[in-house]
Amino acid sequence: MTDVTDPLAAEIHGPSPRQLLKARALSHKGLIFGMMVVLLLVLVAILAPVLAPHDPYAQSLMNRMVPPVFMGGTWEHPLGTDHLGRDYLSRLIYGARVSLMIGAIAALISGVIGTAMGVAAGYFGGKVDAVVTFLINVRLAMPVVLVALAVVAILGGSLTVVICVLGLLLWDRFAVVMRASTLQISRRDYVAAAQVIGASTPRILLTEIMPNVFNNLIVIVTLEMAHAILLEAALSFLGLGVQPPTPSWGLMVSEGKNMMLFEPWLVLIPGAVLFVLVLAINLMGDGLRDVTAPEGRS
Amino acid sequence: MLAQKPTRSTLVAAVLMASVAMPALADKASETLNVAFTKELENVDSYFNSSREGVVLQRAIWDGLIYRNPETNEYVGNLATSWEWVDDTTLEFKLREGVTFHNGEAFNADDVVFTVNFVANEENGVKTQRNVNWMKSAEKIDDYTVRIHLKEKFPAAIEFLSGPVSMYPNEYYAEAGPSGMGLKPVGTGPYKVTEVVPGQHFVLEANGAYHDSPKGQPEIAKIDIRTIPDVNTQMAELFSGSLDLIWQVPADQANKLAQMGQFTVANESTMRVGYLQMDAAGRSGEDNPFTNKLVRQAVNHAINRQELVDALLQGSSKVVYTPCFPSQFGCVQDVTEYDYDPEKAKALLAEAGYPDGFSIDFYAYRDRQYAEAITSYLNAVGITTNFNMLQYSALREKNMNGEVALSFQTWGSYSINDASAMVSQFFKHGALDSTRDDEVLEWLNVADSSTAPDTRVEYYTKALQKITGEAFWAPMFTYNTNYVFKDEVAYTPTSDEVLRFVDMSWN
Amino acid sequence: MLTFILKRLGLALLVALTVSFISFSLLFLSGDPAAALAGETASGEDVEALRRLYGFDRPMLVQYAEWLFSALRGDFGESYYFKLPVASLIAERLQVTMTLGLCGILFALVTAVPLGVIAAIRPNSIIDRVALFLSVAGQAMPSFWFGLILIVVFAIQLGWLPPSGAATWRHFIMPTIVLGYYAMPAIMRLTRAGMLDVLNSDFIRTARAKGAGETRVLFKHALRNAIIPVVSLAAVQMGFMLGGSIVVESVFALHGAGYLAWESIARNDLPTVQALILVFSMFYIVFTFLADVLNAWLDPRMRSA
Repeated sequence: MTDVTDPLAAEIHGPSPRQLLKARALSHKGLIFGMMVVLLLVLVAILAPVLAPHDPYAQSLMNRMVPPVFMGGTWEHPLGTDHLGRDYLSRLIYGARVSLMIGAIAALISGVIGTAMGVAAGYFGGKVDAVVTFLINVRLAMPVVLVALAVVAILGGSLTVVICVLGLLLWDRFAVVMRASTLQISRRDYVAAAQVIGASTPRILLTEIMPNVFNNLIVIVTLEMAHAILLEAALSFLGLGVQPPTPSWGLMVSEGKNMMLFEPWLVLIPGAVLFVLVLAINLMGDGLRDVTAPEGRS
Repeated sequence: MLAQKPTRSTLVAAVLMASVAMPALADKASETLNVAFTKELENVDSYFNSSREGVVLQRAIWDGLIYRNPETNEYVGNLATSWEWVDDTTLEFKLREGVTFHNGEAFNADDVVFTVNFVANEENGVKTQRNVNWMKSAEKIDDYTVRIHLKEKFPAAIEFLSGPVSMYPNEYYAEAGPSGMGLKPVGTGPYKVTEVVPGQHFVLEANGAYHDSPKGQPEIAKIDIRTIPDVNTQMAELFSGSLDLIWQVPADQANKLAQMGQFTVANESTMRVGYLQMDAAGRSGEDNPFTNKLVRQAVNHAINRQELVDALLQGSSKVVYTPCFPSQFGCVQDVTEYDYDPEKAKALLAEAGYPDGFSIDFYAYRDRQYAEAITSYLNAVGITTNFNMLQYSALREKNMNGEVALSFQTWGSYSINDASAMVSQFFKHGALDSTRDDEVLEWLNVADSSTAPDTRVEYYTKALQKITGEAFWAPMFTYNTNYVFKDEVAYTPTSDEVLRFVDMSWN
Repeated sequence: MLTFILKRLGLALLVALTVSFISFSLLFLSGDPAAALAGETASGEDVEALRRLYGFDRPMLVQYAEWLFSALRGDFGESYYFKLPVASLIAERLQVTMTLGLCGILFALVTAVPLGVIAAIRPNSIIDRVALFLSVAGQAMPSFWFGLILIVVFAIQLGWLPPSGAATWRHFIMPTIVLGYYAMPAIMRLTRAGMLDVLNSDFIRTARAKGAGETRVLFKHALRNAIIPVVSLAAVQMGFMLGGSIVVESVFALHGAGYLAWESIARNDLPTVQALILVFSMFYIVFTFLADVLNAWLDPRMRSA
């Protein structure tokens, strides 16, 4: 998708020392809020075995769809139980693990692929650039949801398959942005200077290029992580993503959907949590962009 | 069962009822009954689909030679007026005169001969071969007399002729073929098809010239059937007034709908049996765990059938241990039963050499919720399942290719009240047989083709006892179906899981 | 200009060719197509015969070439499930998807452009903040969840709109909102950024200095320039949306091409899936090509790109 210029960034002028950066970060409400929420959910995911009141897989068919405590339920199951009598809160907590893991690993895989391609294209130019640009075009032309669904259907749905499919599909934005940033930086004097003194290509890429595109990279990593989490939820919702009994928020919405007209909380709770997580990651990404890369983006 | 306060239900119901009061888009006033199907039919031609929805349309659009009254189970003539066995493998029919197909073609012996000869020919690829492959051919005696020749003795012939075997117009079918018939179906039945949008919707209109059939005369002028896969969406449409009748509604939703008092909720048992199929024959791999009897027994002990019935299926469902429906002829219940005993299941697995359990691909095609609950039981004894939900046709293909080690299957026997319709469908070394036991095959051959009821029962008993003793399958429960319709619709569902439009009327 | 168009056309064709190859290879990823076709009573020989009949025994590239040439003639083979030509199945359902896509992008433009413009004219105003909130929320909103909530509120609780299907224009309102909201954030941000850019540029200052009225400056000069990239983004988004309509169609039980794709995947109906991937890709390729040409036509500087 087109990389949109953020005008907030344009309001801040000139390069700034570390101190200024920190001040900007601390005064950026979106960034602070996003980071807090993400941090909280990461903690929840890590501490899932401690925090979850019940085994998220323990089925109790005689205790199905107990309402949450705020709808007349008891504290035994604070957020009620699902269609198989499993504790909803525990499944949500473990679901955070699934979402964050998928988001992080998929973003990592696509980040490695996309960055390699983008940096190569930007640095070497010429034929390499032509090939990479072509590959980006091909990738963008493929309907992501459809291809992901088809591949998952053929290979069978599992956490690993979903992560790999998303990782292999979502590298386009990395490639586009890294290509542009590298192109910009490799034209600068210090890169030329390094080339003149005979530094090897890998050395230039590692010491001159990478540190300078790193900020942009972090921004894309967060945004793509959000993208991957949303896509996983959509795939799971359509029944071709993470498979039961693994607790995935998208799957929980899909399972709750059948009783939605009578027990709307079954759909509202997991969907809302998913929304908040993705929102927080996006705010964090947008915030990081505003704070770290004020110049060169307008 | 549901820990739920009555006040909240009432509230929800009140809100929902307020919306039900909305002006309906189509109903009694418009003389159109709006119905939802869950599944997209691959082909309306009843010989070329294998789904329940197909049976429903078949009964509306076409007629068989014989009709079985679903309440009394008595056989009466429909397109035939009388029949007799000439010998063990020959049936002679006198046909009804003056019947015409929806396209005006007159019904006579040529139609029967053409239909039987076409469907009995394996090369024509009728989807469920078992429905037709007992017939060899048909022969015209005169314009209104035909004989059907059987391949071998087949006592269930009358039952099949009153069920899945319906009569097609010879001239039209020869020209249109199955795909043409699917897009523009022509039969003699109480309803004629006026519109088919494949996979989306069908419009049926009452056949004003319907013959004096034991099915009765159609009363509802027009029936519009839409495909809506999701029960949630179906209910939303019911509330908003654009659907009048939905069926196959799961117990949870049916209970809630019944509480609302706006709809008639009717529960009927069906012949459908839910079971776990295990690859005892080793088709998916010689070393797959299910080739070991102990593992299959462990699976049988791991499932809490009673809890599944009580909590999930509810209604008139029952626990079963036989690979057939208890009311079916020959489906004796004197078989090995496996009680719910997860500890024993674990011990059996350990004895079989899987002290830590194993991991296996698990397939299902319907009732995701039941499938999930079943996998939960398996997981609890150490069998880790990789859950795969496919559509029926896709799972069937995989199954036929022998790629499925463990699956949750169901079979409705085409509502044929004879054990052969289920046990012989799956244990006679066909492509869907995951067991391939020679002894069972031999016994079933005797039981299927004998004309002496005692012999049949004796051999079905042998086969069923071996199947359950060896734990080839894990039969679990029988299904029930909930029919939910607006109060202005009058209908009494039958226990054979067939929606009969001809029996419906407006209140 | 002509060279530019030809160059872009060549690239588009090459992309299309590659995509077609990828979607064709899906068939081979999935195992033995002949066995899948054969059916219940098939013996090993039958499968072998089918393999020869359909040419599955020939090298993959030969089969690909054949499939491609049939596809160019509009023949995508026969659906495994319906046993009907895939092309007619898709053609029948594409109408719903196209309608939905068009309505969706119009909805996105109609809401995003004015919001973006106002947000740019009055940065940090309430409207700017609302616009920012809407766009941030839109990017985080799982569309299947949003759709379900709309159904509960507008179809069930309020009873204003039909919950599913595609019979009348009223059926399209909720799906349009869900799909359109997916495209809205990007368009709005681009409009706002573009407007800010243009408003800060020299020629607007000149226009103002010359005493042109503020309305005139805004609409005659600023919006006209800011809208160019928005139009091309909209074209690109349209391509994305058609591919993304699969979720929306499944939530609202719209029998469109996306829904057909989902069902065909679950039914293992590969010829249909292949064709749909190709068709959706083609839409994207055509839309981006048109966007490029449009851009070049509106803004001559782009032609050298």
